[in-house]
Amino acid sequence: MAKYQVNKSIDVRGEVCPIPDVETKRALKDMKPGEILEVWIDYPLSKERIPETVKKLGHEVLEIEEVGKSEWKIYIKVKG
Amino acid sequence: MVWTGLLIGIIFGVILQRGRICFNSAFRDVLIFKDNYLMKLAALAIALQSITLLLFAQLGVIKLAPMPLNWVANIVGGYVFGLGMVLAGGCASGVTYRIGEGMTTSWLAGLIFGLTAQATSSGLFSNWMKWLGNFNVTVKPNSSVYASKVGPTLATIFNVNPWIVTLIVAAPLIWYAFGTKTSQRETKLNWIWAAVLIAILQPIAWWASAAAGRNYGLGITGGWTNILSVYTANKQLNWIGIEVLGIIIGAMISAIATKEFKLRMPKDPKTYLQVMVGGALMGFGAATAGGCNIGHFLTGVPTLAISSIVSSIFFILGNWTMAWLLFGRER
Repeated sequence: MAKYQVNKSIDVRGEVCPIPDVETKRALKDMKPGEILEVWIDYPLSKERIPETVKKLGHEVLEIEEVGKSEWKIYIKVKG
Repeated sequence: MVWTGLLIGIIFGVILQRGRICFNSAFRDVLIFKDNYLMKLAALAIALQSITLLLFAQLGVIKLAPMPLNWVANIVGGYVFGLGMVLAGGCASGVTYRIGEGMTTSWLAGLIFGLTAQATSSGLFSNWMKWLGNFNVTVKPNSSVYASKVGPTLATIFNVNPWIVTLIVAAPLIWYAFGTKTSQRETKLNWIWAAVLIAILQPIAWWASAAAGRNYGLGITGGWTNILSVYTANKQLNWIGIEVLGIIIGAMISAIATKEFKLRMPKDPKTYLQVMVGGALMGFGAATAGGCNIGHFLTGVPTLAISSIVSSIFFILGNWTMAWLLFGRER
């Protein structure tokens, strides 16, 4: 079922701004190069801002998948 | 004539929702995420509005009414408001439009914000406001674009034509907007268009509001206190009260139409406590300072009011202080 070999998954649905962004950055910090992080969000602003933030840090955004009504999963591959 | 507020509010709500315009994010993102997207929107909106507002005033359609300067109120209120918006997860307008998107934390933050603003301006803490009133500074304006008794502006302090200072202030803001690198973001209503729409809406809002007896432009705080006094004390709904209702309705329509409406709840209920504390600080701060990020920052700064400029500087400093305490390690 899973699309990617996800190494870590965080669910930040319903969190207030900017917790989703901050949690994503925290999770990425603890991960090894090449690993994949799955971020589960439900806020449109996060969908627009998180990919840009992680790209700036050098990570790769594999996909932003719509998984429900105003819900998305962002798959991020750690740089290196 | 109060009903024009509903229409203006709905339009403003749609712009806020589509543009994801939150000044809490704007201030914080430049510090924590090195992201200037929303700050550029704010800078451009202020620059363009300073011109459109002055143009309307020059043509005699509106009379600018910069708020009285009050060093104590603007500094203390501004700083406390800035601290609060980070905890509440949004500024006054951010919290208000997110109510329409179904963000339940914003419902609570907005309600506590309004209640505390009301307590500060006319309730339990009103003695504090009465005392602060002693420090209000107003001047006799030096130009016909102003109402009869106003707070000092950059134009009255230097006693020059408002056009000269307006263009001097707008130029570097426009340079910042277009002359420096912009953070990318896939927003449905991009920052340039959002700023242009606000600059068109603002003077029209001012004109409509003045026609209903309230000589000021877009705002949030006064609207919240009005709505609560309608509900609890059977007061009359005024222009700014119905404008705030309009913002919520507009944001809701916009969110539903784009399938972005959803009841959002944090997993940790402690988040509700955090946003309540934030809302209370915001309400106290905004009432003390005489305005929030809309009344002072978005609407007041373009009139070059010193009160609004001072308040806005302290909104940003308060925001940065709290953002640094909570998220400083994430830089």
